[in-house]
Amino acid sequence: MRRWTIVFLAVLLLVPFGCVRKKMRYQAEFLSLFDTVTTIVGYSESKQEFTALAEEIKAMLTEYHQLFDIYNNYEGIHNLKTINDNAGKAPVKVDGKLLSMLRFAKKQYYTTNGRMNIAFGSVLSIWHDYRVRGISAPEEAEVPPLELLKRAAEHTNIDNLLIDEKASTVFINDPEMRLDVGAIAKGYAVERVAEILEKRGISSLIISVGGNVRTIGGKPDKKEIVPWNIGIKNPDQESPHTELCSITVKDCSVVSSGSYERYYTVDGIRYHHIIDPRTLMPAVYVTNVTIVCRDSGLADALSTAVFNMPYEEGRAFIEKMDGVEALWVTKDGEIRYTDGFGKLLNGKINK
Amino acid sequence: MKYFQKTDGIILAAVLGSALIFLLLNGYFLKGPQDEVFAEIYYDNKLVWRKDLSSAVEGEFSVPGKPDVVFQIFADKSIAFVQSDCPDKVCIHMGKLKKANQFAACLPNKMILKIVSSKEENKSPDLIVR
Repeated sequence: MRRWTIVFLAVLLLVPFGCVRKKMRYQAEFLSLFDTVTTIVGYSESKQEFTALAEEIKAMLTEYHQLFDIYNNYEGIHNLKTINDNAGKAPVKVDGKLLSMLRFAKKQYYTTNGRMNIAFGSVLSIWHDYRVRGISAPEEAEVPPLELLKRAAEHTNIDNLLIDEKASTVFINDPEMRLDVGAIAKGYAVERVAEILEKRGISSLIISVGGNVRTIGGKPDKKEIVPWNIGIKNPDQESPHTELCSITVKDCSVVSSGSYERYYTVDGIRYHHIIDPRTLMPAVYVTNVTIVCRDSGLADALSTAVFNMPYEEGRAFIEKMDGVEALWVTKDGEIRYTDGFGKLLNGKINK
Repeated sequence: MKYFQKTDGIILAAVLGSALIFLLLNGYFLKGPQDEVFAEIYYDNKLVWRKDLSSAVEGEFSVPGKPDVVFQIFADKSIAFVQSDCPDKVCIHMGKLKKANQFAACLPNKMILKIVSSKEENKSPDLIVR
């Protein structure tokens, strides 16, 4: 009897080892949000558990997607399109989430000395239309006339965006001004969702909306949690190295702005989608800027703003900020980065 | 009164030894002996094409139902969107893919091209910022 008791205890001792299921890596993609690819990477004990979490994240992001949409109406929702449609007409009562994003975006306009301006919609829409036409009919591709751009630029004053906190209303005090939050909305939405998940104790996840990457915790590796390994795409499409480098990060955001995916060509010259508010033309200073900091909304805004600055100006601007690191790829292919960014590098830089 | 006899110790060691061998074998088969890299094409959330890139043959192809979207496998065993009827051509501008966890997508055509590894603990980045 005693012998069987020992055998029973020995087997009991092994039960925890047998029952601890290894967390597996899972990845989900959605194509329906923010006109880009949303990717969720996480470690779960089962596919069902991961799928449920991914669906929940999708639902949260969908709410932001609808609120920040400038092209479509949604029943019962006052979104950015509603605000744009009512420019110069009437204040629009909006959800607190939209109000907070606009307040944050307005603040970033002043922080970046106007290099990131959500009131720049009238100029961006001209470039968007010329780009779409130029891609569909390359032989007829044209650059927008500067006079047309200048007239539109007269309606980009952020101070005409009036936010009434008490009444929860937003009013554009210029009938020809339009909001476009493409430089900030994705990162802002990702950050809000990440905050909710962190409060719930989620500890090992990546959310990426169109390359606005926010990491939560690290990833399990054998018996410890290690930082995530995030690759930075090589802007040189001809290089055999598809990634410029990779960095190891935990609990922070990585966002790039580049000129190599959204563009069209006129007379052999590429015209990309990031428009410099000072020249009203595609920014020509660098090929890629990558920002690393805790807040995904801030990283999103800064990546656009710094892309719109010459390297020296951008570097001086970033080095004044706490907790923000950056990497630049200059026009001639040189790589520059802040000291803190260098400490995150995982291996060498590929040229 | 003796609670623990020599034979009990042998039984205990045998059970623990067996468990250790099981765990090691289990770990080996879970990881798999080799790291293979597959290209996968999804259309409207369904996997419609999958190929081990190391044995893929150079050339262009489309998947059933989407003749206007053309993929190409290159000599260096990379794969890319090379033609599409979408308005912005971002899928083509995303370039060649060949390492695990890389992906490109064509939103208007609801298509995703992604590279996956048979081995979970591969050396590729967890995600690429583009």
